[in-house]
Amino acid sequence: MSDGRPSPAAGNGQIVVSGLTKVYGTVRAVDNLSFTVEPGRVTGFLGPNGAGKTTTLRMLLNLVTPTSGTATIGGRRYVDLADPLRHVGAVLEASSAHKSRTGINHLRVICAAAGLPRQRADEVLELVGLTPAAKRRFKGYSLGMRQRLGIAAAMLGDPQVLILDEPANGLDPEGIRWMRSFLKGLAAQGRTVLVSSHLLSEMQLLADDVVIIAAGRLVRQGPVEAVVGSMTRSVRVRVRTPQPDELVAALAEQNARVERTEDGALVIDGVDAPTVGRTALTAKIELHELTPERPDLEGVFLELTAGKAAIR
Amino acid sequence: MRLVRSELLKIRTTHTWWIFALIALPLWGITLFFNYISSQFLVDPASVGAPEAAQSEELRVAADPLNIASNLYTNGQFLGVMIVMLLGIIVVTNEFFHQTATTTFLTTPHRTAVVLGKLVAAALLGLLFWIVTAALNLAVTPLILSDLGLGNQLDQGAVWQAIALNGLAYLLWAVFGVGFGVLIRSQIGATVTGILLYLAGYIGAGLFLAQLAQRFGDWINNLQLLVPSLASQLMTTGTDLPGNPPRWAGAVVMVGYAVVAGTIGTLIMRRRDIS
Repeated sequence: MSDGRPSPAAGNGQIVVSGLTKVYGTVRAVDNLSFTVEPGRVTGFLGPNGAGKTTTLRMLLNLVTPTSGTATIGGRRYVDLADPLRHVGAVLEASSAHKSRTGINHLRVICAAAGLPRQRADEVLELVGLTPAAKRRFKGYSLGMRQRLGIAAAMLGDPQVLILDEPANGLDPEGIRWMRSFLKGLAAQGRTVLVSSHLLSEMQLLADDVVIIAAGRLVRQGPVEAVVGSMTRSVRVRVRTPQPDELVAALAEQNARVERTEDGALVIDGVDAPTVGRTALTAKIELHELTPERPDLEGVFLELTAGKAAIR
Repeated sequence: MRLVRSELLKIRTTHTWWIFALIALPLWGITLFFNYISSQFLVDPASVGAPEAAQSEELRVAADPLNIASNLYTNGQFLGVMIVMLLGIIVVTNEFFHQTATTTFLTTPHRTAVVLGKLVAAALLGLLFWIVTAALNLAVTPLILSDLGLGNQLDQGAVWQAIALNGLAYLLWAVFGVGFGVLIRSQIGATVTGILLYLAGYIGAGLFLAQLAQRFGDWINNLQLLVPSLASQLMTTGTDLPGNPPRWAGAVVMVGYAVVAGTIGTLIMRRRDIS
């Protein structure tokens, strides 16, 4: 961490999930899932609750045995990594420390098992800003502090690859902002950062790439702009005018669909913003607002995962 | 080695071990009191009003100063090994109770190594409990023996044998506890079942086998060996008691149980999904 360069031992740090499947009884929790996660970028792993995100991450980390398929980090399975914590840091659930153990001792236990020097525990606590609470017992930690402790544990081995399951859960706005800049910083150093979440607005701010799954299957993968851009057919234009009826009449000739909102604006579907402006000018209609509404990740996500029941 | 250090650190950084030590100490005191009374009875049955004729052959052998001494020098075993077994159970079930299993297996994906680390750490903890009880017994027993008009018996190899076998019992019960904890993941389930099996095995099976022995002959008493709590008691008698299996057989049975529990536990742990 100190020199900002990740250890080279985890290969290039690329995560490759290939044909991954987990069947529980009759439920295919993860169904022939394949995607890749590149180093140097923050990748958002998105899906409705119950889509199979956590199961996928747990298979990637050798905690759950896949029914079939493989998942590798830097070309190797997690179980085959010689010193896994030096390659991969993972934050899975916020409550995974003994209630009556202090934060610093929780980290020292991991250091001992991983063969890492003891002072790494102090260093990572400093890194996540938990030093003042080092000697407090875990049961006295807030949810946000628990998340920070989890991240501290993941950073112990200065890993090339970071995997986080819903890290924003329980964080206050300050904490979310801290997490965002922290993870972006790690990616900027060339590390691989894979973050699962269902908080889409947060993902739009944080992620470079997204992997969207629903009902255990891949729905879409790619850079955020490309995934959002692939849905541009739903660009809408928002307009305010003192002469709404005249504008509606003028636009009717352009095959545009117009909706009136409660606050008196018009939302126009089917034509782009320049067309709306030109139409208004030609008809000598006064405009007070003309805003193209870009679809956001949330809209795209809802559209892509619509109808795929989360509870199976 | 790393894993053993990590496991020992886990134990040291929570309250569990010293709470158990605090429980073990008064229990040691209580059993010492009862052993003192029963030793007095064995040395001089008439003093507590038992008729001479009631003495069986087994009692006469038990009254051998050597056996009285062995019993006193290994005082506290009956409840001590149970506490050590509970510690072994907790070393494993804590991981699920506090959801630390995820962190543990992320740090060490090779689960057999994790279980082995826990087995060794629990065994060391068991030995620590044994060392403390043995030291207390070595301090107190000579006083009791001289009160009973017997020498301290420390020049007898059999006494030291009993003390050493007692250490083995502590170690094996700790290992047994770890295996048991892996088998039953629920902390409450595992501890309650463990205590019930231990006590019921001791009292219930003892009575049951004694009944059967009266009907079918003394050889039935050899089946005591199959009951872990009786097998470990057998290990600490000073000499072989008539009508009872030899001491080494108790040790063999206990090693067998510990190995079986540890192996089955490890195999289960290797296959289990951690979620």
